[in-house]
Amino acid sequence: MRSSTQMLREPAWRELLEALPVLQTFFDGDPHSYGIQSLLRCVTSYTNDAFAAVDNGKPFVWYNLGFNSELIYALGDVCPLPIESLGVLHNLLGSLDRSMEFIDTAVATGVPSDCCSADKLAVGAIHKNLYPMPACTVGINTPCDSQVMATQVMAELGQAPFFPIDVPYYHDDRTVRHVAAQLRELIPFLERHTQRRLDFDRLRYVCELSNQTTEAIWEWLEWRKNVPLAQSSKLVAFTLVLQILFTGHRNGVELAQALLREVKERTVRGEHFYEERARAIWYQDPVWTDMQIYDWFEQDLGLSVPVDVFGFYAQDGLIDTRTPDTMLEGLARKLVNCHPMARQFRSDMGVYIRDFMHMHEAWQADCGIFAGHIACKHAWGGIGLFKEACRKAGIPLLVFEFDMFDPRITPNDEVFFQVERFVNEVVLPRKARG
Amino acid sequence: MPDATLQSILALIQEPVPQPVRDWKSNGQPVVGYFCQYVPQELILASGALPLRLRGVGSDDPSLGDALMSGRVCTFVRHVMSLVLDGRYDVLDAAVCANTCDHVRRAADVFTHKTDIPCEFVSVPRSPRESLFAYYLEELRNLHASLCTRFGTAPTDDALRDAIRTIESNRQRLRALPPLRQHQAPKLTGAESLALHIASQVLPPKDFQSLADELLEALERRPGFEDLRARFVLIGAELDDPGYVRALESQGALVVGDQLCFGARSVLPPIDPDAQDPLEAIARTYFFRHSCARMMGDFPARYESIVKLVDDCRADGVIFQRLMFCDPWGADHHNILLRCKNVGGFPFLSLTREYGIVPTGQLRTRVQAFVERIEIARAQATPIQEGGES
Repeated sequence: MRSSTQMLREPAWRELLEALPVLQTFFDGDPHSYGIQSLLRCVTSYTNDAFAAVDNGKPFVWYNLGFNSELIYALGDVCPLPIESLGVLHNLLGSLDRSMEFIDTAVATGVPSDCCSADKLAVGAIHKNLYPMPACTVGINTPCDSQVMATQVMAELGQAPFFPIDVPYYHDDRTVRHVAAQLRELIPFLERHTQRRLDFDRLRYVCELSNQTTEAIWEWLEWRKNVPLAQSSKLVAFTLVLQILFTGHRNGVELAQALLREVKERTVRGEHFYEERARAIWYQDPVWTDMQIYDWFEQDLGLSVPVDVFGFYAQDGLIDTRTPDTMLEGLARKLVNCHPMARQFRSDMGVYIRDFMHMHEAWQADCGIFAGHIACKHAWGGIGLFKEACRKAGIPLLVFEFDMFDPRITPNDEVFFQVERFVNEVVLPRKARG
Repeated sequence: MPDATLQSILALIQEPVPQPVRDWKSNGQPVVGYFCQYVPQELILASGALPLRLRGVGSDDPSLGDALMSGRVCTFVRHVMSLVLDGRYDVLDAAVCANTCDHVRRAADVFTHKTDIPCEFVSVPRSPRESLFAYYLEELRNLHASLCTRFGTAPTDDALRDAIRTIESNRQRLRALPPLRQHQAPKLTGAESLALHIASQVLPPKDFQSLADELLEALERRPGFEDLRARFVLIGAELDDPGYVRALESQGALVVGDQLCFGARSVLPPIDPDAQDPLEAIARTYFFRHSCARMMGDFPARYESIVKLVDDCRADGVIFQRLMFCDPWGADHHNILLRCKNVGGFPFLSLTREYGIVPTGQLRTRVQAFVERIEIARAQATPIQEGGES
């Protein structure tokens, strides 16, 4: 395995580590932006831990974004590595050239261009040999087929034992038990290949951290129901990042509590940086290529996004930490019924539409925005039913195509233009009419 | 003459609902349309219904499907659902969908919300390993019970055993094809073979068996195809268009083996009709079959089977075809290319296609170039590789 010094010679890592403190300093300018500051701290802490793990010869476990990190943290000194992470972080932190390079590498090596850019980010980074090689890999079939594609490529490129997890089509207890049984099967697999023992007391501690994170997220989302929204729209999608990389770790608790503290304080103080004129449920995918676009929506259009599909975290109970079995069942329940996207995308259109309707009502939205990532075939495949449901409910809906990680598909100016026209010509006049 | 029988078969499979299926229906017997090879024909047959594999053949325009599913769903599913919405599958008493892929899942939504055709669903685990088998078995037990209730039949083991025997009779005939194709001078083309495989999935068993017997007998007298420029193995996603294969074979080469879902991959190993639990025997054979690209963690086995098939067929190269927007086969595409690059593999041509369209000119040019490269390499006795998305 390469040392951290060798890895840091890679521009993709060096640029990321150089960008983090710069951004930290930038956001320090707003001392109450606890959420974004915490995210940057957690990412920094994670990368520091990962580099230390490289130097100390600790094992890495690769997995895809439908999976959560608790079981890996419960192994002790094992480093979880979601294969999309480096590409997504570059996207999130504005290094679009780097992430587009990953995407192009994936296509050049045989990933079809119509597959999801999130997965191309993963495949490109692996092909570029940017990740420490794994002791083993875990693949889950949620939220979509493109993830299945990514897991199979991961299994091939990772050159390490691979454990697939099947999440069925349904949402019932039988499904939860089926997934829990696989997690039970996963534990000896992880132990064997990482040479670490999963201690159930440590798992209990990890699950407690996970529960604290979940409770903070729920409360945070509750506070975001307030009208007008006192916290930036762009923070809402962080639930997904948090669940993939930080849940079960103290970083996860810190980030969730920071998001909560920020919205609470800003709401209590009555802070408003813009006049909120309309609220939208952003359904499907965030504009990761330019998160500042949400600031433009707020300032130029008065449009806020209190919740989106990546941010919504369903209230399906906490992990029961009494026994190993209850813990595994709780972790399975999270993967099946709570994890953003996995909950909405892998089954029929029922949950997808019901969740939207729930969000629209509970977060007092005026409209829906279907930001259709071009590779989300499962969502596009149900667009007719979704439009029909919105029409019946009298909810104005904007539908457009873009790529959440690749601005070459639809320029962000075009995304802004579409949203602007929709808000100004449909949503606001309609709202004015009462 | 094989040609006359083949013409009859081709004519029958030109329609989404062949005439013998309409005849079956007019006798008051139910018909069940199904997507995906993980839905056992035997279960449908044992419930008293005829299994009819859903296809988009005969659809000129997917716009009804487009309106509900957008243009981002694969054209196979959009054409099928356009036919369904247009009433062209008017014989169906029920449909069975599986979570084969995101596209078929959405087809189930359309069935449920936009048609009067009841839709059953099977959640097929994404990894063919023993610990997940029980879940699949339970899904099939539920499906069998539900179909029997729907059609007022008793879910008996005897009915299942009879269905196993009937479908096995189909498969026995299909198992006669690989030796004829793999022969030095193949007796039938890849297009003809595909047509017969399709017929086995869309005709009532008796009609199929009679045509297959006629064809197999005629093929014995047919001289083989000599002086081939190249021999190919054809793999990849849903392909039920013999015309497409015919275009591939138009440059003096022949498809001598395939692993197509509608083709040779539809032929399972024999299922023991006398097994103590016939439904479990069915489930086991289907679940641990040669896997579809949707199955995670099974690529190494799939790759080995391609290598073996290339060897068995003495093929000069592999043609991979994939429907636009198909993610599972996208992974196999990447992984096959990688192995070809790393371990030598085989000459490989990759084609991306849309359902129902045979871009004859482009296809011939690509295949001709591929054949020429094979011929040049053969002359120079050096291995070649081809990759990339078309």
